[in-house]
Amino acid sequence: MISLRGVVKKFRDLDRDQVVLDGVDLQAAAGELVAVVGASGSGKSTLLYIVGGLDADFEGEAVVAGRSLPALGPRERAAFRNAEVGFVFQSFNLLPALTALENAMLPGLFARGAGARPTLGALRADARSALERVGLSGKEQRLPARLSGGERQRVAIARALLSRPKVLLADEPTGNLDTVSGAGVIDLFVEMARSGMTVLVVTHEERVSTVANRVLHLDGGRLR
Amino acid sequence: MRARSLMHLAGLELRSGWKGAALNAAAACIGAAALVFFVALGLGVGQAARRMFPGEARLVEVVPSAISLGSVLGGGRLDEEAVARLGAIPGVAGAYRKLTLRVPIAANRPPQGVEMKWPESITIQIPAVGVDPGLVAADLGRGSWFEDRGEGQPIPAVASRRILEIYNKTIAPAWNLRRLPAGLELVGLQFPVRVGYSIVPQKTEDRVVEGRVLLAGLSDRVPLYMVAVPLEAVRRLHREYGKPDQGYTSVALLAGRPDDVPRISAEVRRMGFAVEEGERAVSERVGMVVSVTTGALAFLSLVMSALAALAIAQSLSASVRGRVKEIAILQAVGATAGDVRALILAEAGILGLAGGLAGVALARLGALAADSAAARMLPDFPFRPETYFAFPAWLHATAVGVALISAVAGAIAPAAAAARVDPARTIA
Repeated sequence: MISLRGVVKKFRDLDRDQVVLDGVDLQAAAGELVAVVGASGSGKSTLLYIVGGLDADFEGEAVVAGRSLPALGPRERAAFRNAEVGFVFQSFNLLPALTALENAMLPGLFARGAGARPTLGALRADARSALERVGLSGKEQRLPARLSGGERQRVAIARALLSRPKVLLADEPTGNLDTVSGAGVIDLFVEMARSGMTVLVVTHEERVSTVANRVLHLDGGRLR
Repeated sequence: MRARSLMHLAGLELRSGWKGAALNAAAACIGAAALVFFVALGLGVGQAARRMFPGEARLVEVVPSAISLGSVLGGGRLDEEAVARLGAIPGVAGAYRKLTLRVPIAANRPPQGVEMKWPESITIQIPAVGVDPGLVAADLGRGSWFEDRGEGQPIPAVASRRILEIYNKTIAPAWNLRRLPAGLELVGLQFPVRVGYSIVPQKTEDRVVEGRVLLAGLSDRVPLYMVAVPLEAVRRLHREYGKPDQGYTSVALLAGRPDDVPRISAEVRRMGFAVEEGERAVSERVGMVVSVTTGALAFLSLVMSALAALAIAQSLSASVRGRVKEIAILQAVGATAGDVRALILAEAGILGLAGGLAGVALARLGALAADSAAARMLPDFPFRPETYFAFPAWLHATAVGVALISAVAGAIAPAAAAARVDPARTIA
């Protein structure tokens, strides 16, 4: 489901290139939960953004959900992000003025072709189901500010699940959560992997490592 | 992104930043309101002016030149030959002779069938001009006739449409007389008159006879303080009272198209006659003043709309700078650069539309207030309009369109900036 070969990512720092990923190889199959750990600034998030099609400026091969990412144009990459992957971020990245339901609906508003719901009502119903799946029934109309950290992350997961993606990418998903909430989120990831989704989690969190199928270390720009 | 989804998301975004959105809509609203208010005022005042000075754009009034070399260079008397030559000018659709009645006619009793207190000793002199029937044929009341049926028969007359308004607003209140209904309801009234009698000393003829004038119609082609009677009736009275033939007083030329009027006027002057500008010139001058003033105010309103566009541009630019992370999140869940651009433009479009509609409503409220104030503060003068504003549908559509376009135009640069947001760098 995820296949990276020799991925190199450089950042231009003043007048010299700084290599963040230096020939990364990664294979992850459907139904696998892979944890990537590493020190701050080691390029974990960058790796995630490359896999998720947010960052197209890299060298090497990257095939995710059957799509060769370097071959995708901007519109195709957006469609890929919309249909094939779901993102979960450490800081939730919810739109603060939208309710939980409206946040969960967002990917559906940008869906095209077969993924597009026929009506806003159908989209709303799917978003409600996604919230129900992450245990937020009855809290659809709450604004993010009126939800706990764990609940906000669940809204973010519901948003990521709306398009029924093949790959879920999580960037320090428990970093801002207490122990109990973090455990709940980790359980959700395990459940999703069991349902056939490929889950790639970038984390410092020891608990994730204990439930992951594989734990990879990113160090010196390479995965070990 | 589907239009329905786009509008839904734009609505959500506007709701989240409703204060800024309200300010932007207010900017668009003020531009639209100013445009509607001032143009409606110009149109309304223009309509009122046209009621007061209903100069017909196709009519050219030809009179003998004040300085004439007689038949040496043409011009001189307006006789049958001159009328024929004038009628043959290219572009002239009709030539109508006019002859001022030089026998005085006066009324000292109210019209028959109308109960009103006619003050004793009040006599109204009725100036009359004989005209070719074709000039007023279209303005006759149903069943009315306009021909001279000889001595002892009523003389049909067509009055100016405006004289009634002046009578009702000035003479009637001043003399405490009954006000008369408007329009053709008056047609058919007969006024007892004394033919040959003048209120000016020494001007009464040796022979004064009782007669009747029958109101046959109301027309804008009749001078304000005169009545038009059949040309043959004037000729007959001149014969009866021994008035010598002095030629026609004037000839009204009807141009086929208003555009022909300047060329016809030039040709008339070249033939040695003069063109009486009269009310048409006043009407044109008033129309010009109103048009120029309206144009200036409309231009000012468009400048205000342009300023509104700048304000919206500035406000949306600030909004986009404050929303880069939100925009990046939208891109992370599948928004293309085009979606982001369309979203910002749609937000501006909604604001422009709402502002435009609110502006139209505001302008109409302002017009109601202005009309109400005018009704309280201004005296009841002749031709005072019920409203000083005219609101054609195209004006509403134009104002909403201008507000919409100015808002969307103001959003183009912020939308382009929003579309350039790099999601990976922003989210990281």
